[in-house]
Amino acid sequence: VIADGRDGGEQAMPPSPAGPAAVTPDAMLLAAGRGEERAFERLYDLLAPRVYGLARRVVRDPAQAEEVAQEVFVEVWRTAARFDPARGSATAWVSTIAHRRAVDRVRSEQAAADRIRRVAEHATERPYDEVIDETMAGLEHQQVRQCVLMLTGLQREAITLAYYRGYSYREVAELLGVALSTVKARMRDGLIRLRDCLGVSVG
Amino acid sequence: MSQPLDIHTLAGAYTLDALDDLERASFDRHLAGCPACALEVAELRETVARLTGAATEPPPARLRANVLSEVAGTRQVGPGKAGRPVRARPIRWRVWTAGAVAAGVLAAGAAVTTYLVQDRRVRQAERIQTVLTAPDAVTRTAPARGGGQVSMVLSPARDAAVVVLAGLTAPDSAHAYQLWLIDGGGATSAGVLRAGQADGARYLTGVRGADQFGVTLEPAGGSARPSAPSLATLPLR
Repeated sequence: VIADGRDGGEQAMPPSPAGPAAVTPDAMLLAAGRGEERAFERLYDLLAPRVYGLARRVVRDPAQAEEVAQEVFVEVWRTAARFDPARGSATAWVSTIAHRRAVDRVRSEQAAADRIRRVAEHATERPYDEVIDETMAGLEHQQVRQCVLMLTGLQREAITLAYYRGYSYREVAELLGVALSTVKARMRDGLIRLRDCLGVSVG
Repeated sequence: MSQPLDIHTLAGAYTLDALDDLERASFDRHLAGCPACALEVAELRETVARLTGAATEPPPARLRANVLSEVAGTRQVGPGKAGRPVRARPIRWRVWTAGAVAAGVLAAGAAVTTYLVQDRRVRQAERIQTVLTAPDAVTRTAPARGGGQVSMVLSPARDAAVVVLAGLTAPDSAHAYQLWLIDGGGATSAGVLRAGQADGARYLTGVRGADQFGVTLEPAGGSARPSAPSLATLPLR
């Protein structure tokens, strides 16, 4: 893999109308933590497509995804002072909150019962093929795509189903017909392989 | 609870929000004392955030105005000690592990009940977990008269059980479901649900001396003894 340093496409910045100060998610989140509402608006503009897109993937229903995205941004504003750039990027910080909120929504009690039923009904239909196709088509960034392709089939399926569909590892194990311990292990070693391939480091 | 050797492997599922709440809480405790694991999770979160680039979609335009107007009235919290995201709401304990255990004990594809218990303390959840993970745990399910079902994960060795009521007819505000342990001498109350509550999970002890478990509909607050035949019974032996 050709390492081109940072994942440039992910960090692309819009032209800054405010002046020369760098409008990066990190800088905007730090400023939002000091109560600067303008910085929070910039942060919203930078990350809203990502937050809403992730919520749409996980909860599917557009109205619920919109509610989730709103909850996420309000929580980001509320807790922005707790963001510490030494522990990770603003993009990862916000994405973590967004994914957690979306998963909370989709695993509410009725949804969980329905999903178990669906898992049982569709156990033989491989409904996850569609998720993987969707995901691969969306991975526009060459480096991310290459790294995802380097995963084994099981690593890719386990990560994709959990991340984009909000399935628990138990559900993933049922869907794929593999042992719980195998799913846990593939989620971890798959993410580690992705991390190494993308050259991600923290701190 | 979880074996120390095993917990390390949960980092991937933890990062993907693929653990249930009990496992998540135990991994959170593990993280607090394991800097290497905390670093691994931070790196995996960065990694996963790269994947979100695949899912971007412009939100409806009104979302921006809605967010900004809600934010204008929202007070910010201080930095605090931890520099990582802190959830705004308390963790919601789902006894949906009961569903997973039941799914394992029963044949795959059997109807499984799940239940959301809000704002339970870790200890309570762990008590339930000890039943669900007991080596001798067995699962029993019976349909309730009038709809819904009553399920139980029973551990004679721990002298305890977790009962899950799901989809029962909702009582009016003057009535409540009451749980009973029944033996040769009659029925002893094992707890009363809130008036009007149709779904719930309860942890019961002292099941070893009883022959049967039953559920009746009683006036709100419960009765000293069952005022009607059980809507559902489960054998305890």
